[in-house]
Amino acid sequence: MTDDSDSPMTDTENTTTGPLAPEDITADSAFTLPGFFDALSEGRLLAARCTECDTHMLPPRPACYGCGSRAVTLSEQPRTGEVISYTSVNRPPSAFEHLAPITVAVVELDSSARLTGRVAAPLDDVSIGDRVELRVRDPETVDIDPDFDLSYEEEWPIHVFELM
Amino acid sequence: MSTAHLIAVGSSPLGKTDLPGRDLFSKALAEAFEDLPDPADVVDALYVGAQSERYENQIMQGTLMAEWAGLRNVPAERVEACAAAGALALKNAVRDVRAGVHDAVLACGVEKMTAGGTEGATNALGAAFERALEQRSGITAPATYALLARRYLHETDATERDLGRIAVKNHGNAAANPRAMFQQAVDIETVMDAPEVAPPLKLYDCAPVTDGAAAIVVANDEVAADLQGRPDTIRVAGVGSAANNLAVAERDLTFVEGANVAASTAYEDAGVGAADIDVAEVHDAFTVCEALLAEAAEFAPKGRGIETVEVPGDRSAGWTDVQINTSGGLKARGHPIGATGLLQAVEAYEQLTGRAGERQVADADTALLINEGGVADAHTVATVLTAQ
Ligand SMILES: [Zn+2]
Repeated sequence: MTDDSDSPMTDTENTTTGPLAPEDITADSAFTLPGFFDALSEGRLLAARCTECDTHMLPPRPACYGCGSRAVTLSEQPRTGEVISYTSVNRPPSAFEHLAPITVAVVELDSSARLTGRVAAPLDDVSIGDRVELRVRDPETVDIDPDFDLSYEEEWPIHVFELM
Repeated sequence: MSTAHLIAVGSSPLGKTDLPGRDLFSKALAEAFEDLPDPADVVDALYVGAQSERYENQIMQGTLMAEWAGLRNVPAERVEACAAAGALALKNAVRDVRAGVHDAVLACGVEKMTAGGTEGATNALGAAFERALEQRSGITAPATYALLARRYLHETDATERDLGRIAVKNHGNAAANPRAMFQQAVDIETVMDAPEVAPPLKLYDCAPVTDGAAAIVVANDEVAADLQGRPDTIRVAGVGSAANNLAVAERDLTFVEGANVAASTAYEDAGVGAADIDVAEVHDAFTVCEALLAEAAEFAPKGRGIETVEVPGDRSAGWTDVQINTSGGLKARGHPIGATGLLQAVEAYEQLTGRAGERQVADADTALLINEGGVADAHTVATVLTAQ
């Protein structure tokens, strides 16, 4: 890649697809975790979308697990979706113990992308099929032991779902 | 291609023990080689399944186990796929023997899970989940399997009580297994009244934290024939494995597709079908897994895996006559992560050689093992074994 303005994999407006070139894979690109979480901090939830089979993948990655294609592009995701399954973590890992019990769910966004996250509601208030909206929290406002973070994770936001 | 035979098996006591990992391995090795020459005179290489170095702050398990077996300057490798590590060690040993790379290989597994208490085990097992989105949401092993269970109960007619009956069945089987961690039956009311761990899963839906080790000698035709005193070896007829996605959110929650691929591959390799399997050890880390794996192995129609608890005559149409988890399964035999896949093979060895005592299944001559790692389906190894 010699012309940054032409970079296909870091610009959601650009629909050029194909295998990522080595020089596309930098911490500025949402195809890497630092780039994905930087965008999330700024309010953009970016998935990889397979242009062959339309699988949406969070976080973005360089190849599609649905069909094997590397013809992936970035796609900004809707924040809303529905609960596919849910439970409560009654005895969480030690770094999360202040949050117990933690309601967690697998959510399918309206784009079809699926991800796991905490739900900001008691277990009894949640059902399969409930509509939820993804919110992004500054890590300092979530009561997780800072020692849990790896050095490169310290600034990464934490996502949580709210019932709609 | 040579045939791979399991010519000797051993296991350590299972449960919370006073022995560190290497000493648990010594116990398993001593049993496996009770009637055999020194390991150095039998095997040419070693694979060891070990989930985590967090328990004992020790990697290099391949070198350590080889040393404890008296093997020096031979290939000796640790393999890792969370709870599928044990079957992965067996698979690699079988591959080497079949390919003629080695005449005989020691497959073993070890885990000292109680070293850091429940918190240590929770944190060590947590490393098996996808880091960026799932670990950072505070999930645990029971919670991820509860996500499967909740959806299974939603999509099928199964109830929490049906899941509980799987635990009751497996405790009943373990009561007849001298190797088992919990050699006592439990009743359904005890199971249903137990504390919730991650709803709908309660305490008895969950396999225990277990210390333990297992060791199995895998050998080619010549070595198997040469060794006296072990006429009742069993044959590895087929092997399959598959990795599905790491994030549980990105998988079908009620169809463990990777396990279906692994089992189908193993059946094809062995030239058998699901209906040919007499006994199966499937990975019931949580009760719902036994139901899901009965379906993935094509023993049961979709949504009816919970009938694993019924005697064959009482099962729905479309079910085979297989007997599942005669050992007591992970739930009651115990689940020392890296050793579990090999403990499944120990049960198959005992069933196929007529050594299973009170829990012997009559005329058992073909077995399937399914060992999984990383929230059900992230990695699966399936193995078909036959009596000689
Ligand atoms: Zn695709």
